[in-house]
Amino acid sequence: MATTFADQLRSLTDEALSALVQLRPDLVVPVPADISALAVRAQSRGSVARCLDGLDEFTLHILDAARLSRSEETATTSVEAILELAPGVAPDDVRVAVDRLRVRFLLYGGADALHLVGAIDEVTSPYPAGLGRPADFLDPQAAALCADKAKLRRTVLAAPPGARAVLDRLAVGPPIGALRRESVAEPVQWLVDNHVLVPISEAGRAPRPDGELVELPREVGMLLRRDTGPLGALRPFPPIPEGTTRDPKSVDSAGAGQVMEAVRSTESLLEALAAEPAPVLRAGGLGVRDLKRLARAAGLDEPGAALLLEIAYASGLLGETDASGTSRSVTVSRAGGTVDEIFLPTGAYDLWRALSIAQRWSALAHAWLAMTRQPGLVGQRDDRDRPINALAPDAERAGAPLARREGLLVLADLKPGTAPQVDEVLGLLAWQTPRRSRGREAAHRDALAGAAQLGVSALGAITSYGRLLLEDVDEGDTDPLGVRPGSAEPPGDAVRTLDALLPAPVDHVLVQADLSVVVPGPPEPELAAELDVIAEPESAGGASVFRVTAASVRRALDVGYTAADLHSLFRRRSRTPVPQTLTYMIDDAARKHGGLRAGSAGSYLRSDDEALLAEVMAEKRLAPLGLRQIAPTVLVSPLQVARLLGGLREAGFAPVAEDAGGAAVLTRPKVRRAPTRSSVASRLAEQTGPPVLAGPRLAGVVEQIRRGDIATRAARRAPVSVRAANGQGVPGLTSVQQHGQAMAVLQQAVREKVRVWVGYVDSHGATLSRLVRPVSLSAGYLRAEDERTETLHTFALHRITAAVPDDQA
Amino acid sequence: MSGGPLIVQSDKTLLLEVDHPDAQACRMAIAPFAELERSPEHVHTYRLTPLGLWNARAAGHDAESVVDSLIKYSRYPVPHALLVDVAETMDRYGRLQLVNDPGHGLVLRGLDKIVLVEVAKSKKLAGMLGAKIDDETIAVHPSERGRLKQALLKLGWPAEDLAGYVDGEAHEISLAEDGWTLRSYQQEAVDGFWAGGSGVVVLPCGAGKTLVGAAAMATAKATTLILVTNTVAGRQWKRELIARTSLTEEEIGEYSGERKEIRPVTIATYQVLTSRRGGAFTHLDLFGARDWGLVVYDEVHLLPAPIFRFTADLQARRRLGLTATLVREDGREGDVFSLIGPKRYDAPWKDIEAQGWIAPAECVEVRVTLTDAERMTYAVAESEERYRVAATARTKLPVVKALVDKHPDEPVLVIGGFLDQLHQLGEYLDAPIVQGSTTNKERERLFDAFRAGELRTLVLSKVGNFSIDLPEAAVAIQVSGTFGSRQEEAQRLGRVLRPKADGRQAHFYTVVSRDTIDTEYAAHRQRFLAEQGYAYTIVDADDILGPALPQID
Repeated sequence: MATTFADQLRSLTDEALSALVQLRPDLVVPVPADISALAVRAQSRGSVARCLDGLDEFTLHILDAARLSRSEETATTSVEAILELAPGVAPDDVRVAVDRLRVRFLLYGGADALHLVGAIDEVTSPYPAGLGRPADFLDPQAAALCADKAKLRRTVLAAPPGARAVLDRLAVGPPIGALRRESVAEPVQWLVDNHVLVPISEAGRAPRPDGELVELPREVGMLLRRDTGPLGALRPFPPIPEGTTRDPKSVDSAGAGQVMEAVRSTESLLEALAAEPAPVLRAGGLGVRDLKRLARAAGLDEPGAALLLEIAYASGLLGETDASGTSRSVTVSRAGGTVDEIFLPTGAYDLWRALSIAQRWSALAHAWLAMTRQPGLVGQRDDRDRPINALAPDAERAGAPLARREGLLVLADLKPGTAPQVDEVLGLLAWQTPRRSRGREAAHRDALAGAAQLGVSALGAITSYGRLLLEDVDEGDTDPLGVRPGSAEPPGDAVRTLDALLPAPVDHVLVQADLSVVVPGPPEPELAAELDVIAEPESAGGASVFRVTAASVRRALDVGYTAADLHSLFRRRSRTPVPQTLTYMIDDAARKHGGLRAGSAGSYLRSDDEALLAEVMAEKRLAPLGLRQIAPTVLVSPLQVARLLGGLREAGFAPVAEDAGGAAVLTRPKVRRAPTRSSVASRLAEQTGPPVLAGPRLAGVVEQIRRGDIATRAARRAPVSVRAANGQGVPGLTSVQQHGQAMAVLQQAVREKVRVWVGYVDSHGATLSRLVRPVSLSAGYLRAEDERTETLHTFALHRITAAVPDDQA
Repeated sequence: MSGGPLIVQSDKTLLLEVDHPDAQACRMAIAPFAELERSPEHVHTYRLTPLGLWNARAAGHDAESVVDSLIKYSRYPVPHALLVDVAETMDRYGRLQLVNDPGHGLVLRGLDKIVLVEVAKSKKLAGMLGAKIDDETIAVHPSERGRLKQALLKLGWPAEDLAGYVDGEAHEISLAEDGWTLRSYQQEAVDGFWAGGSGVVVLPCGAGKTLVGAAAMATAKATTLILVTNTVAGRQWKRELIARTSLTEEEIGEYSGERKEIRPVTIATYQVLTSRRGGAFTHLDLFGARDWGLVVYDEVHLLPAPIFRFTADLQARRRLGLTATLVREDGREGDVFSLIGPKRYDAPWKDIEAQGWIAPAECVEVRVTLTDAERMTYAVAESEERYRVAATARTKLPVVKALVDKHPDEPVLVIGGFLDQLHQLGEYLDAPIVQGSTTNKERERLFDAFRAGELRTLVLSKVGNFSIDLPEAAVAIQVSGTFGSRQEEAQRLGRVLRPKADGRQAHFYTVVSRDTIDTEYAAHRQRFLAEQGYAYTIVDADDILGPALPQID
């Protein structure tokens, strides 16, 4: 039956093939061209590893059994051989596991000649089931010992207790241990001396720094595992968490309480953030100090605050914006944060606030399920020992949504009200998908902690609406990214169930003599808005407690409430008689409110003589001054003092200006003068010309000139005038004249076909010069030929700064 | 949703709606672990504190029962996190124990080794712990017991103190219950105190705190040191003890500025204990003068800072703190709790009033409008002078007179904080003044005359704030005070709360100047009483001065 893997696949029925594709969906991404391609892919390491990741602990053990039981010649095994290795388990369970492997094509071929896909050995431990290699492989003396079963047993039984402990450790697996370099522990030495342990020195490899390795031969391992079977302890069924059983009602109730708490905390976090926005760190994320501040403001611990902020960000309630005020799209990656950006609640936050508590929670919970962030990492340190900040890119974990689903599904699969220990849940996850769960305990713990904080679970069990939430997500998985916080669709079952658990909003308050106002339940939005203005919040939760203070009443008056409004508001809203103290306080505050008036004016006009001011007010010619009487002796005008004075004087009044201290400012007419100039006499020295040079300085100047000349001759260079034109301009000529002259030189050169030095500015703004022979001059361009490189250049005429005929032509 | 009377807030306050039919049952259920914070007319506020939860644990309540009663009475779902927090907090109690080891004396024993290691490492305990005896035990010097407990409390690992108390020198004391018996709440307070060993009893003024002290002494049957605020208060204690217990004049000593007697029951003033000569406290030996079996701190809210320090060394003795208002303006309530002991008993004022043990009181704030001249003086006064200017306005005098006249048949106390003003009042009302400089003898004489009814009006300075037992006083008029002191206001109200023979109502007037800082301070002062359910009525002075208007209330 030496059919190939591809042949096996080809011979499958359509149903079996689709079953395979269903179990290993990665095989058809992209769709393979033919069966051979499919076979190649199914045997590839990546695909095999992915398939193994999805298998449970028992199936993987059976796979190990298959690996162990391969015959050396044919490299095949059989169901019988596998069964032999799993004596303690019902054969049917093993067969089912083998079928699981076969249907996935990890094993193929007939029941008597099962082949293993080659890649399996590459992607799994070299020690199947934690057993070492056969003794034959390792060491002839060990092989001899193992061949004699009775002797082997005697040797193992004779092992001193220390050595026995070592053996037992290695027997559980992995079967290798490292020897300390300097001194080999006595028990180990004994084992090595008796060939129960075999030192393995890998040829050609440098000695390991931590000493040599020893391996426990497979036969010895199997012997030590006599009691549990050669594969070690096998668990054909998942370890169902027992947990404690809670009343599902009290679970729902505690969860609903937590839901209110989570929604309220999120709100107070975002309110605190809105009151004092936090800067986005350069590396992205929110600073530790800001997190602390927000947590304190919302009455949370820091991990809790970090979780809710992450969720708020994921659900689009929170975003970055320029400190200047132009907001940036929320979907842009947060990695590029700069100092100038701040975190602020988004516009969606205001919409969200208008929703019912259950809907608000649903938006948060959906975002939480879908977000690829692991908030539990916040506050821990990364590989480079730097703290991980909330909302920073470091807390990004692509596997987080899956971890969350796995964790919650464990809870959801239990009977309602069952509250397993966290370790039990982790244990079950480790059984379900050992390969995937390894190293993800932190993510799973994080998921369970998050569920508790959001009220998805409570008292350790999943709530009824939490279950529905998972189903919601399962059904409507059209939106895998979870970007639908707007929730325009009708509320899901979870929201409806939750709504029934949450207290109904109340529209009344209890006002007490100590000026506290108690809202005995979640306030209606309208009531909440009113109380926000007229009272200070003191305590929140199931109910809210506010206190009316003089300052809060003044604030209410500032936003336009009148005393009568406030009285009627309290009368209308309060279930209890309004205490007299409150009435007095409102009246007192209202009486004082507006006792002082402030405004701005350009200038004022005052006089002790009220009649005089009345005259000014009555004067029609002064109407343009916009005078207004604010007191019997004071008028104000929006105009500046000078214009006010001018206007009054023109109308025949005699006003005097005052300075800030109240003293009269005297003015006299100003005589006009031109700006001061210096006398010509001072320029006498300048007219005598440049200073006469002498001595070493003169010699230096001459030498500099000569050297420059020699250099110019040595190199073929543009004449000084061309280079100078690029810089300061030729002395004595304006730039326009220069340009005109240059054009003339060029025209001349075109006609005479001589070479010229052309100075020009290139497209980068650099000034260059080039020796060329002009060919034509038209349409704003000069075309010229460079004889050295024999190329034709085109110069824009407006870029040409100078042109000088080549002297050497 | 059960529709219960309790609302659990996320800041761990509990709101109890008192008009709810289950309110009383709920109050009984939560009282052991939650502290009553405010008790205004409709919604009482309790708070869950670690201290309260640990006290409940010490009294034998477990987390399960606390959580159950929260859930049972809560109107709305209780947040899961809060329940977890309650359970975790209560679980911290008793992991450490202070016990008397037969071999090593006082030791700190850890039932949880890790906790012991954690606290032993803490810097805050440096110097308090002695040698390590074994993995679970560390020796503690007896003098550090108080400070160690205080520090452990702050670390969040309260030690269960099983070391017990010294019995002290036995001395026969019993209550002489002839024609009277201990009231039920007094008995509860004494029982609560005795079961806890040490602690503070909070009862309204006039509710008979002295008797609680006497009953505690009768329970201890041991020599007792009583610390009081001043000599007059000390003499009142003495009088009361002689009348209500088997103690005789000879058994009670007075340790004050005037006399230095040390007897089986000694009453000392805070002042003499904290007086210093050459920078040293000279009278501290009193604490060691006898083997006291009980130390009573009267008006514990006034306990001066040095006494705190001495008290830390007295942890092996039973300590009873008495007060009406555990509101310290210096915020040291926490120190009182940790050094004297936790609050063992507390009763809302209105409850005691309802039982008839204190007189019902009407609190009235009379608002006086300043004259223009006074307003101008106030407006230009320096900021530190403003309160004095507003509080001592002369305009108040006729108002006080009118108030005194309004109650022609009742003994009236006029209480103020500024001496000039009191002298003016004394002249204006033709009444004697008791102030700090009045000799004790003169004070006694005046108080006796007042009690006897020979003197109808008495003007008191700050000395009248506490511990003056004038049972007949039915009207108190407050003209000025120590800024916004809440406890002063409560103590002053307390002067008129002694139940009257005919069950008359007491009146408490506060005269304040309108639109000045006086009003603001008054509002702050009233806060404590308002939280106790005393609703102030505000009246305009003109209504009092003018022709008598028909009564509205």
